[in-house]
Amino acid sequence: MINFQYLRASSPKSAIDGVRTDLSAQFIAGGTNLIDLMKRGITAPPKLVDINNLPLRDIADEGKTIRIGALALNSTVADHSLILKKLPLLAQALNAGASAQIRNMATVGGNMMQRTRCPYFYDPSLPCNKRAPGSGCGAVAGINRMHAIFGLEPVPDQHVCIAVHPSDMCVALAALDATVEVWGPGGNRTIPFTGFHRLPGSNPQKDNTLQHGELITALRLPDNALATHSHYLKIRDRASYAFALISVAAALDLKGKTIQQARLAMGGVAHKPWRLTEAEQVLIGKPATEATFREAAQVAMRGARAFEHNTYKLKLAPAAIVEALTRAAG
Amino acid sequence: MSRVDGRLKVTGGATYAADNQLTGLVYGVLVTSTIAKGRIKAIDTQAARKAPGVLEIITYQNAPKVPGYEAKPTGQTRVDGQEFRVFYNDEILFNNQPVALVLADTFERANHAASLVTVQYAQAPHQTALRPNLTKGTKPKRADDYLRGQANAYTTAPVRVEQEYTTPINVHNPMEPHAATAVWQDANNVTVYNKTQAVRIAQQDIMKAFNLKEENVRVHSPFVGGAFGSSSRVWPQEMAAILGAKKVGRPVKVVLRRDQVFNMVGYRPESIQKVGIGASPDGKLVGITHEAYGLTSSYEQFAERIVDPSKSLYSCPNLNTTYKLVPLDLSTPCWTRGPGESSGSFALESAMDELAYALGMDPIALRLANFAENDPENQHPWTSNQLRACYERGATQFNWARRTPAPGSMRDGDWLVGLGMSAGIYKAGRSPATARATLLADGSLLVQSATADVGPGTYTIMTQIAADVMSMDPAHVRFELGDSALPPAPGQFGSHTTTSVGSAVYDVCLSLRQKVLELASGQAITTRDGYVELLRQKGMPQLSVTKESKSGSEEKTHSGKSFCANFVEVWVHPVTGQVRVVKVVSALDVGKVINAKTARSQVLGSVVWGLGMALMEEGQIDHRFGRYVNKDLADYHLPVFADVPDIDVILIDQPDTILDPIGAKGIGEIGMIGFAAAVANAVYHATGKRIRNLPITPDKLMA
Amino acid sequence: MQHNEPDRNNNAGQEARRDFLKQSTLLTALSLTPSVVVQAAEKHLDEKAAAYFEQVTLKLTINGKPYTLSVEPRVTLLDLLRERLNLTGTKKGCDYGQCGACTVHIDGRRTLSCLTFAVMHEGQAVTTIEGLAEAGPQGKLHPVQEAFIRHDGFQCGYCTPGQIMSAIGCLREDRANSPDEIREYMSGNICRCGAYNNIVDAIAEVKKGGQKV
Repeated sequence: MINFQYLRASSPKSAIDGVRTDLSAQFIAGGTNLIDLMKRGITAPPKLVDINNLPLRDIADEGKTIRIGALALNSTVADHSLILKKLPLLAQALNAGASAQIRNMATVGGNMMQRTRCPYFYDPSLPCNKRAPGSGCGAVAGINRMHAIFGLEPVPDQHVCIAVHPSDMCVALAALDATVEVWGPGGNRTIPFTGFHRLPGSNPQKDNTLQHGELITALRLPDNALATHSHYLKIRDRASYAFALISVAAALDLKGKTIQQARLAMGGVAHKPWRLTEAEQVLIGKPATEATFREAAQVAMRGARAFEHNTYKLKLAPAAIVEALTRAAG
Repeated sequence: MSRVDGRLKVTGGATYAADNQLTGLVYGVLVTSTIAKGRIKAIDTQAARKAPGVLEIITYQNAPKVPGYEAKPTGQTRVDGQEFRVFYNDEILFNNQPVALVLADTFERANHAASLVTVQYAQAPHQTALRPNLTKGTKPKRADDYLRGQANAYTTAPVRVEQEYTTPINVHNPMEPHAATAVWQDANNVTVYNKTQAVRIAQQDIMKAFNLKEENVRVHSPFVGGAFGSSSRVWPQEMAAILGAKKVGRPVKVVLRRDQVFNMVGYRPESIQKVGIGASPDGKLVGITHEAYGLTSSYEQFAERIVDPSKSLYSCPNLNTTYKLVPLDLSTPCWTRGPGESSGSFALESAMDELAYALGMDPIALRLANFAENDPENQHPWTSNQLRACYERGATQFNWARRTPAPGSMRDGDWLVGLGMSAGIYKAGRSPATARATLLADGSLLVQSATADVGPGTYTIMTQIAADVMSMDPAHVRFELGDSALPPAPGQFGSHTTTSVGSAVYDVCLSLRQKVLELASGQAITTRDGYVELLRQKGMPQLSVTKESKSGSEEKTHSGKSFCANFVEVWVHPVTGQVRVVKVVSALDVGKVINAKTARSQVLGSVVWGLGMALMEEGQIDHRFGRYVNKDLADYHLPVFADVPDIDVILIDQPDTILDPIGAKGIGEIGMIGFAAAVANAVYHATGKRIRNLPITPDKLMA
Repeated sequence: MQHNEPDRNNNAGQEARRDFLKQSTLLTALSLTPSVVVQAAEKHLDEKAAAYFEQVTLKLTINGKPYTLSVEPRVTLLDLLRERLNLTGTKKGCDYGQCGACTVHIDGRRTLSCLTFAVMHEGQAVTTIEGLAEAGPQGKLHPVQEAFIRHDGFQCGYCTPGQIMSAIGCLREDRANSPDEIREYMSGNICRCGAYNNIVDAIAEVKKGGQKV
């Protein structure tokens, strides 16, 4: 690891200024992913701007929306009474991720900035278009058991990336119609959560739509009628502290047995948290039964394709959708 | 009794290999290859040498000479072949092989400089996959095929099973990464603080490598952060530290990164096994055939005891085994908890379960019907055998009677319930060991032997044995280990520390007691003050006895084994394929139990290992690159708290009166033997899906 | 009491370093063009020259004692504890935040010391395994330490410091109300020896006993 320049920011503006002027500078908050990547030589920013002292930790009920400061810790959000009451799906997803210690360090903004856990990305001696553009995708003809089944548009070899986004929290946020507040050199803007992360396209090295120097300051989540019937289902290789093979965030607004509103998103299946709006449409107005859920799962799976080691996801994903919806409705 | 080293361990006071912060310490970081086979064309260390704090960079081009590397292999080493020679020449034999050692004044500077070393390779085609290379398999020099009765007799039996079972690479992954700190006192004297299960073996290896005498090499390893077989020979980190220290004339510490732990310090090799097993309709075994393939490196033959459980676990008139090793462009595997038996018993005990279903017979009844009264391998009587009691007490505790045999017939809510069992057998024996017992002027007792305590509780058990013989308060006994200058003991592996070193401690304390009795003219002394007084009267600063202890003729006339019966309840989610082990009962015959607390802990550990092997552990190599892809603890899954259910441990606790004077047999590995099969058998019972390829991950149950 | 570690690096260039630090720790100075030396360091051109400027001062409290240190920003809290301050009770198991062996408390919260730079903890209080028991070979142990010994909550002992620090965190977070809850909230601490069930028993006992942790 190079001995980078370290700067401590005292205001969002000074933080942005600190990064803006230097294309290779980066913000550091919890550091739980960035430091890992730096240790393995995957990234080597010569300048880090520490944003931990910025006043961006508050969690507030603003009436129709809940605002979560970007520096709120994962554990703080997961344990917050407001979140437990109004957004239990988010709390569940947070607690399904990482470990208690990491949740005590990782911030909400940092969680969004997590990079993929694809092993080819993580080993500088192996090909990876995300890490080393043009070097090829190691996973596509390699060990791809953990990899994507959605969002795989045909692209030339030098752009191929079948990595998945690793976050659990982001799957819940994608389902819950969150928006991301961003401050940057060009002013402040708001990004719908589902537009925050991106598909690899011809730029697999880019995980999201942030511009250089832009700082996530907060998340805003609309209050909703989905709190009573929601479930985050995570299927993994061990019972805790493992990345998802498949995860599903499901939330329903039920009137009697009839579905009024539905939110559905998956993790472990695409380069970004995978919102399933078409499947949601299938659910609306229908009774909350297994048959309905199966129909939605079938719609959800349209366009999925698998590789040598992840064909199981074509079966596991719809099964997980049905299971998550069943538990949400229950 | 609680562990005597408990306080040190809970306060952070126990010093492991990387905790020795010697004055003037230099940090060594290894640079490793990115190809699996070929030659180094060029190493550029210029940029690294210019980096701040860098003292030296060692490559094959400037490494100090290792005289032992020039010697022809003697055939006397514990693994047959030419050991891997660190920084010896330009040859690359496996991926992630050490090619340079960067030495700097701080860890960060060494680490950064290591990233500046660039290596160019002339790549050669490599082979790292077992299955496509099976035709290259040959009989290892040190493992013979075995036959009793007719070969392949199972094919003539009215009821038979013939299946292939596979087990993947498992990596020991002790929590402590392998580390060594070395310092040369002068040109001929070196001290090494390392992570080893065998200070004497490490000492001998280093003596041989550097052509030094015993008194010139000192190895310290008082605490070992888990090893499980991975620290039973000298590996690159020790050699690198010693070479580095020689080069810079200061102490050098080398700690492996976690990814380096995956292929530099051994691993459990992958296996492909075929088991054929046949029985008459009443369940009497007619024949067993067990053919196994394993893998090894291109430069050594590491052979396992993979077919051994099949030879001895059941009474069966006809049995033949073969074992072939396929040399691949990987580092050499090594002993891994239950080395061979763990993989072999997965195949055997899965096949037994399949046979029970084919016969329509209860799996315990099938095993009892073929109970071996003597060791079928050699017809020797057992030194002791409580396997029947294991079946009986285990089944009762587990409530096996609730099991309805049909697959998928038991449920709890949404979950499918499966109950499975298996049996295990593991060698029990002892090696020569020497201990010294010294009565000190303050009336306390110091007992010493160059064994290790990698976690089983050796410090505690030896203290107890000594205190017991001397009728002393254990608080007044101190046991020392982990120093090559102490009286010789075997390495801590093969579940034989208590039988070997425990016997030595027992014997030497008996002698000391006898000496005391003689000195005191027949007056028995039982108090500390009494000992103080005796030594004072006799004008002796201390009284010391050293004694070697070893087995007698019983080794040739009897067969010593430990036994176990494993019972596992799993819940399988029918939709998502998730498997949860919800209850385990392990019943074991390990001879006499010296310390109930630490003995139980050993079994808990074996069960957790078995659970990992069954459900999640798999070293994955991308064979295009011959390189591990899951070389960290996020991608190589070890069981975590949430995976581990309540575990009932039943220790039959009957002394073995033949094997050794203390009645113990050995407990470190037996609990793992057959365990993975018990899980697979339970999964079959829950789902009707027979998974013959470990690990049993959700994707396999979705297929 | 102030614990100042002797500077074991070359003292040359101290003045220049201080000037640089004045600039770099004040973000108002950011609009200034970084000095030629820093640019050189960033481009890896001549690191020997840049080395003089690489350290920053850091004040933090460890186990109740204040420290004033000069550290490179890239030094993790774990390596600072182990390699500079000789507090080797905190262990490096994986160095990537995947095992929990390096768990310490920062301002009372359980944290992985391998995944954080020491400089990020200016003014904060760190507690390590060495800071739990009363001093001396017979000093009173923390209730969780005692419970670990009583329940044999370890074998090799290597993950134990991290387990104990994490267990205290688990109790403080009120996540020790059932064996299953303990299991989930301790899952970030891997024990390869498999002492899990004994650790669960130890934590449950402390919870039941109601001792202050």
